Amino acid sequence: MTGGLTLADLPMAYAGPPPGPEGPGGLPRLLPAAGAGPVDLRPHLARYGALGSAAGPGALIREVAAAGLTGRGGAAFPAARKLAAAGEARPAPVVVGNGAEGEPASSKDRSLLWISPHLVLDGLQLAAAAAGSATAVLYVRRDERLHGRLAGAIAERAAAGLDTAGVDLVQAPSRFLAGEESALVSRLTGKPARPAYRPVRGLPRLAPGRAALVLNVETLAHLALIARYGAAWFRTAGTAAEPGSMLVTLHLADGRTSVAEAPLGAGIAGLLGLDALADPPPGAGIPGAAGPVQAVLVGGYHGAWLPAAEAARLPLANEALLPLGAAVGAGVLAALPADRCGLAETARVARYLALESAGQCGPCFNGLPRIAAALEHLAGPRPDRRALGDLERWAGLVTGRGACHHPDGSVRFIRSALRVFAAEAGLHEQGRCRGTDPRPFLPVPAGRPASEEDWS
Amino acid sequence: MSGITHTTALWYASRATGVVTLLLLTAVVVLGILVNRQGRLPGLPGFAVTGLHRNTSLLAVAFLAIHVLTAVADPFVTIRLAAAVLPFASAYKPFWLGLGAVSLDLVAALILTSLARARMSRRAWRGIHWLGYAAWPLAVVHSLGSSSDARSGLVLALLAGCVAAVVAAVAWRLSRAAREVPPAGRAAAILSRMSARKAEL
Repeated sequence: MTGGLTLADLPMAYAGPPPGPEGPGGLPRLLPAAGAGPVDLRPHLARYGALGSAAGPGALIREVAAAGLTGRGGAAFPAARKLAAAGEARPAPVVVGNGAEGEPASSKDRSLLWISPHLVLDGLQLAAAAAGSATAVLYVRRDERLHGRLAGAIAERAAAGLDTAGVDLVQAPSRFLAGEESALVSRLTGKPARPAYRPVRGLPRLAPGRAALVLNVETLAHLALIARYGAAWFRTAGTAAEPGSMLVTLHLADGRTSVAEAPLGAGIAGLLGLDALADPPPGAGIPGAAGPVQAVLVGGYHGAWLPAAEAARLPLANEALLPLGAAVGAGVLAALPADRCGLAETARVARYLALESAGQCGPCFNGLPRIAAALEHLAGPRPDRRALGDLERWAGLVTGRGACHHPDGSVRFIRSALRVFAAEAGLHEQGRCRGTDPRPFLPVPAGRPASEEDWS
Repeated sequence: MSGITHTTALWYASRATGVVTLLLLTAVVVLGILVNRQGRLPGLPGFAVTGLHRNTSLLAVAFLAIHVLTAVADPFVTIRLAAAVLPFASAYKPFWLGLGAVSLDLVAALILTSLARARMSRRAWRGIHWLGYAAWPLAVVHSLGSSSDARSGLVLALLAGCVAAVVAAVAWRLSRAAREVPPAGRAAAILSRMSARKAEL
């Protein structure tokens, strides 16, 4: 079962000028122009042209370094450094395109794979060539239609003789942590997709002496464009520190969800339609709110809440967000309407995050459920004040003590809610609540009994 | 001449350190079982149990070294150094000393692999560490068979106490494993318990 969006819900049309060499800085680059549907191999080649084979792996890595491409899976790690490490590894590492997208609020990877699969597959071939590898894996969230389409695309390319590296399509379990790098490696070695403690720096290892180069599928798509049009073209979008464009999943206040492509540094207000609402009349609405929007979730469920008025002034760039305890992450932005309870929304997600613990590290599987229960209590009427003290104590105890960053990311998200929704917490103590609309806003997969099979 | 002369001193030292080594090895096994199942000792945090397991094992190795060296050095019976390491190569009580030699080799393997743990795969380290469970009963049988003190009531009682401690620890471990919630259900079990408790507030 998948949470939130299904492919049928995904928007198929995108606004913006045509991409590619004819409109150098124009967006969208990765997605087709407005009104166009999914791009098959023939229109893909017509639009972007075939991949040049003239430049060697070393030249590509230098071009990616000059472009300043960073990982679009959330961690924003420089792609050129991973590629260079892969190029030096002997024997050649297995190259993996990561499209697990366990984050329920994100659907950009699935949209990209559905709409522009050949850009991702181009990037996978380029990464395999840079690593000197003849084997590549595409690791994609469990979804029959999407897997069917990708298998067709891979077969079509093989028939056309486009690819040098063979591509295996592997199913990722629909779990929040399935795309975490060590969980992915664990899944590829035939074990459950649980994160592992990894003391060694550098590329993860599938087996002794067999490394893996793991890149997010959107990162691969950007790689395919940099190989064609170069670093200077890539830098015509974005900021000097954070160049290029990125796919974002937008949850608008009216309940609509869409995937769009934005240059890094684009205003959050413009993306979420907060512009007109940035200056509410004095005395109206919630302090810190922008009209009908009270707060913005930046970076998904391991991200952070910001008051809407503050978020409306910020660009989508880590340079501006990191000092505020937020990050671009995998590009999830959600505008929480003023008539929802921010504490109840966060508590629902906190419960989900607790249940997504892999159950391996004591601080995580003992701590997150306790934190989630305390937050649920605080989100109810007339909570006992001690729950807040308990929550703070447990939050301090779990941070930095997991094999992966699940406890840290979850606690960051929950703590940001306690800051941003402090006034709401005060109302709850008096037995009141702003949430007049009881419908859930943030997508959370429906509960299901926990079983070991879920992880593979 | 009466009392301990320099010729009998080594013999007494070997016997005494042998008994102490067995007590320490028993403690190491019991603590190791606790560590494996995240067990706690009253008043100690989890990491302290791990530290105690490691330090007790090093202490046991020190006593084991004295036990072996004094037995070899003692002129009363001739045990060559090779017989202390090579099983069943001793002229004196070859079987019972052989068990001790096997136990010594296993302990040496545990120590060496634990020192090199950062450089080897976790699976290989674990596999070798499991041999620790074989080193202990070998040491017990070696004590029973080769020691002339085993017939005295006090040493026999000590041995029985060691066996009882390890049996109790193994029983605790098995019951703990049987009650264990699989990883996928751990968070859910705690969440439902905590939600129920908060609802009572």
